[in-house]
Amino acid sequence: MLTVSVKWQKKVFEGIEIDVSLPPYVFKAQLYDLTGVPPERQKIMVKGGLLKDDADWSSIGVKDGQKLMMMGTADEIVKAPEKAIVFAEDLPEEEQATNLGYSAGLVNLGNTCYMNSTVQCLKSVPELKSALSNYSLAGRSNDVDQTSHMLTVATRELFGDLDRSVNAVSPTQFWMVLRKKFPQFSQLQNGMHMQQDAEECWTQLLYTLSQSLKAPTSSEDSDAVKALFGVNLRSRVHCQESGEESSETESVYSLKCHISHEVNHLHEGLKHGLKGELEKTSPALGRTAVYLKESLIDSLPRYLTVQFVRFFWKRETNQKAKILRKVDYPLELDIYDLCSEELRKKLEAPRQKLRDEEGKKLGLQTKSSSKDGDVKMTDAEAPSNESGESSTAAQQEGASSSEKGTHMTGIYDLVSVLTHKGRSADSGHYVAWVKQESGKWIQYDDSYPSVQREEDITKLSGGGDWHMAYIIMYKARFVSM
Amino acid sequence: MAPVPDPNNSEEDLELKQNLELYVERVQDPNPELQKAALESMRILWSYMLMGLCSTLFFQESLGYRLTGSGGDIGSWGHEYVRNLAGEIAEEYTMRQSEEASVEDLMDLVKQIVAFHMKHNAETEAVDLLMDVEDLDLLLAHVDRTNFRRTCNYLTSSAKFLPGPDDMLVLDIAYMIYMKFEEYPNALQVALFLDNMQYVKQVFTSCTDLLRKKQFCYMISRHGITVELDSEMVADKDDRDMLQDIVNNTKLSEGYLTLARDIEVMEAKTPEDIYKAHLLDGRASSGPSVDSARQNLAATFVNAFVNAGFGQDKLMTVPSDAASGTAGNWLFKNKEHGKTSAAASLGMILLWDVDAGLTQLDKYFHSTDNPVLAGALLGVGINNCGIKSDCDPALALLGEYIDNEDSSVRIGAIMGLGIAYAGSQNDQLRSSLSPILNDAKAPLDVIAFAALSLGMIYVGSCNEEVAQSIIFALMDRSEAQLGDPLTRFLPLGLGLLYLGKQENVEATAEVSKTFNEKIRKYCDMTLLSCAYAGTGNVLKVQDLLAQCGEHLEKGDIHQGPAVLGIAMVAMSEELGLDMAIRSLERVLQYGEQNIRRAVPLALGLLCISNPKVNVMDTLSRLSHDTDSEVAMAAIISLGLIGAGTNNARIAGMLRNLSSYYYKDASLLFCVRIAQGFVHMGKGLLTLSPFHSERLLLSPTALAGIVTLLHACLDMKSIILGKYHYVLYFIVLAMQPRMMLTVDENLKPISVPVRVGQAVDVVGQAGRPKTITGFQTHSTPVLLAAGERAELATDKYIPLSPILEGFIILKENPDYREE
Repeated sequence: MLTVSVKWQKKVFEGIEIDVSLPPYVFKAQLYDLTGVPPERQKIMVKGGLLKDDADWSSIGVKDGQKLMMMGTADEIVKAPEKAIVFAEDLPEEEQATNLGYSAGLVNLGNTCYMNSTVQCLKSVPELKSALSNYSLAGRSNDVDQTSHMLTVATRELFGDLDRSVNAVSPTQFWMVLRKKFPQFSQLQNGMHMQQDAEECWTQLLYTLSQSLKAPTSSEDSDAVKALFGVNLRSRVHCQESGEESSETESVYSLKCHISHEVNHLHEGLKHGLKGELEKTSPALGRTAVYLKESLIDSLPRYLTVQFVRFFWKRETNQKAKILRKVDYPLELDIYDLCSEELRKKLEAPRQKLRDEEGKKLGLQTKSSSKDGDVKMTDAEAPSNESGESSTAAQQEGASSSEKGTHMTGIYDLVSVLTHKGRSADSGHYVAWVKQESGKWIQYDDSYPSVQREEDITKLSGGGDWHMAYIIMYKARFVSM
Repeated sequence: MAPVPDPNNSEEDLELKQNLELYVERVQDPNPELQKAALESMRILWSYMLMGLCSTLFFQESLGYRLTGSGGDIGSWGHEYVRNLAGEIAEEYTMRQSEEASVEDLMDLVKQIVAFHMKHNAETEAVDLLMDVEDLDLLLAHVDRTNFRRTCNYLTSSAKFLPGPDDMLVLDIAYMIYMKFEEYPNALQVALFLDNMQYVKQVFTSCTDLLRKKQFCYMISRHGITVELDSEMVADKDDRDMLQDIVNNTKLSEGYLTLARDIEVMEAKTPEDIYKAHLLDGRASSGPSVDSARQNLAATFVNAFVNAGFGQDKLMTVPSDAASGTAGNWLFKNKEHGKTSAAASLGMILLWDVDAGLTQLDKYFHSTDNPVLAGALLGVGINNCGIKSDCDPALALLGEYIDNEDSSVRIGAIMGLGIAYAGSQNDQLRSSLSPILNDAKAPLDVIAFAALSLGMIYVGSCNEEVAQSIIFALMDRSEAQLGDPLTRFLPLGLGLLYLGKQENVEATAEVSKTFNEKIRKYCDMTLLSCAYAGTGNVLKVQDLLAQCGEHLEKGDIHQGPAVLGIAMVAMSEELGLDMAIRSLERVLQYGEQNIRRAVPLALGLLCISNPKVNVMDTLSRLSHDTDSEVAMAAIISLGLIGAGTNNARIAGMLRNLSSYYYKDASLLFCVRIAQGFVHMGKGLLTLSPFHSERLLLSPTALAGIVTLLHACLDMKSIILGKYHYVLYFIVLAMQPRMMLTVDENLKPISVPVRVGQAVDVVGQAGRPKTITGFQTHSTPVLLAAGERAELATDKYIPLSPILEGFIILKENPDYREE
């Protein structure tokens, strides 16, 4: 009979008797009573060895009063989770893309940064993406010509490629079709394709899309692009000489921000741009006279595009020269005072509501509004994965949002900026800066996307040789009532 | 030599002149008594004045005159004269030595001079003279209570600059002097430096005070060597058990946790707390939605390093009721071999707390998943690092897995044993690990880790048999295997056997010349650098630098260890260290790519846990290098130099690097590991292998660091490959950088201490201040690199003059409350 002490975890069990005539298993059973650890899970350490169940006590050489150590728990044994964990490293390339939180860049095919940046900016509009995904290859209506159709399909494919890929996408197909549709982009200089004006590309591309995305019914309302980007202007044209006055309406895809000596801020530039002089034949005077045209916004788009008129044709140098003047633009734009009287009335209630909400969630206001926007985006995006009628619903929603639960407020949030760096429109470098759904800003410099800080986005306002905003796009802020 | 004072305007001279005039007047006095006194005074004055002149003019030949002259009190001619004499004796001595003439007359003089110097605060000169005439033993007769401390201080510091075997001789004398004055802690320190077990034993047998012996045990435990106390050292069995417990480090965990509680850092930290991504602009919200295995592995390591030894964290040790839920979860967020590191991290979190560690690791022992089992085995090894126990739990648990059929399990067990028994020279392990080396069927990685573990277990032992086994294993390797990145662990294991043992390596180095040329040079460099590690031997540094100067053809990899070798050899003292940093800058500019990759690592070793600003800047620059391997090494080294310091500047640099490299998974992994290093133990740990006022070098600690650095020489295939767990070798160097005071019952007590920058007081007369710019804290306190503590109260007397680690305080019987 031996007496030993056994240390287990932090406890020491003193004076445990061992009957050396019985196998160690019996000893383990004794310990089971004390510790609750089943014998098969017990590991008893004796001088650098483990006590085996069937060992002989005499050969182990345990001495009276010796300290033994036991390891073991009654804990459950760790099992691997039933659902295997998926690691980013195992995912196929396209799924890794979604993890980055932003899509891939576009390869520069030789002075194609104007096109790349335009595509990146337009791609940030989820509604446009879903409208495109609904555009079927076969569903070409007769009034759309072949090249427009091809360009639309190419755009759709390119958007898809960008979303799937991790590495930069080469927009070869898109570029070919674009040049086919608009031969002016094929201009060569020293055997190279020339740098082009991004604004021209933007306008042409959007126009083509608006043509081909028109629903077969060809009613005005179903024009998806127009519903997204179109701004209706009501203008009062009057001639001071004759006192004639007429009113006309027009629909444009972007507002112009004219840059003169007085313009320091986007708002001033927009106001400036909505006033203009034109010469036309006055029926009353029977000669050409100067008419004053004052426009006001009659309906608001979901996406408000503003073009800074930075380039003008300079006769001496025979090129589009650039105005470097610094024009600040805000992250949050309010265009209430550019609206017509009726529109202002309509906006009154939603704006009040928005103010109330913001007042209520003081401190959380930005979060709430962005959340609001997020909901919209997912609403609009969800159908893009599926197909069929649901995306038409999304379109409809865009068009008739004022009738539904959500209302425009006249307040817009900046979502993308297309900048130009250089001294003339046909030279220099174009870059797109796009806000992601996560709230991050990504700079798409051809094939290199990189994360940027929001503060730096407003610094693209010009006044030096740094990138300066050329086309900016705002997204409407809605309020539900 | 002191400048001769200008006789025209010195005040002293003016006074002399006046006195002289007075005496001349007095001599003319009619009173004969007065006349006589005046004459006597004049004689003294004359001799004093002559001295100034003589020092420059007449001393050149003083030795000859002295030897032929009358003798008499040597000091009567003043200090300058004696000093001059000493210089001439040294010259004369070497001359006579070469002529093999008798030096007896000289030695008589030497005795007089030494006696004079020792009496007059010039111990350094006495030591210098005795070193010149090669008779340091004379010192013993002349030291006394007032000057032995300064003498020994000079002896031990000069030992670093002396060529062997003089350095050993000097330290021997220092040891004897300390023993003579019963200054046992210092004697023990020297004995440990000499790695002389006989001396260690002598310290124990000479000292009769049990409390002081406890203090010795604390010192031995910090050094990390295995000492078995026997009945001669401590007579009483119970006392012996208690002392052995201290040597075995069983109380380390407790002390460390006391420190942590006092500093209030017990709260577990998550990797995110370390990354501080919110301080980075833009990328703050970029939390990936899918788990990345690489990043989770990094998080595993960061979590392990940061919470090392605290016994709790937020990933692995979440309460065990939720075992099926959360606890297992993090483990399985690691992929394949990543699970090994995850399970092993538990050993790191519960570092030094063997009981709790084994309890937590137990459940993984029953896993059917081999990588998890391997991790559990490794975890036991890490958990037991530096802790010894009678029951040998690590050996008992891991022993049976050494020959497991799965090689990952085998590696886990082998590596665990290497870590747990580093420096123990355990024969049982040798007999079970050696056969693996020469097993033709064993995979290369198993052999490599077995060699490494044997090197660790027998670190600095010069064990012939182990050396033989590794040499045979190296010879058996095929051409292809020699090219494998892991093969480098074989020469390294061999080198570790001779760590710091200088010329003892020569026989083995000779054998290594017969190796296949693919590994020969690598082996040469590794052996050389290990053998002279921490010696500061300038000649060896030059040898290694010469190796780095060569421009090789592609494929040769031996320059990496050569660069590391420079750091290993030069790291022992400040001067050599600064010199090495400067030479490495040159090497960086002119060296080939494989050298440039090793330079950051060498810098990391030189300044480990000691973030010098210039090195920090260099590494920061290299961390953006175009060569990604250089950048990786620099990033890891940034972590090493800041290890356990929480240094805000390095933390900031690494944070910026993490956003700079956010797309490159490999570099980001390195950044994460470095972040884990910097916040190691939440800033309570150090990786520095030096301790006891930078005198002693812990061999196991150095072995751990060197192994990690060698692995970093081929980052891509080892650490970024599937052998990332070699990072855990760093555990060997992890020590709390604390000073914890305990009372006579070994219970922690809090006393005020002053902590300040250590001042070099070698060779200074009197009792100079040893610290500067101090702040007063109450213990336990943290000591940063280059800091020293002193008690700010007279109420207690520390039992060791070196205030680091555990310090036992005894009440001062003479203390009176004011």
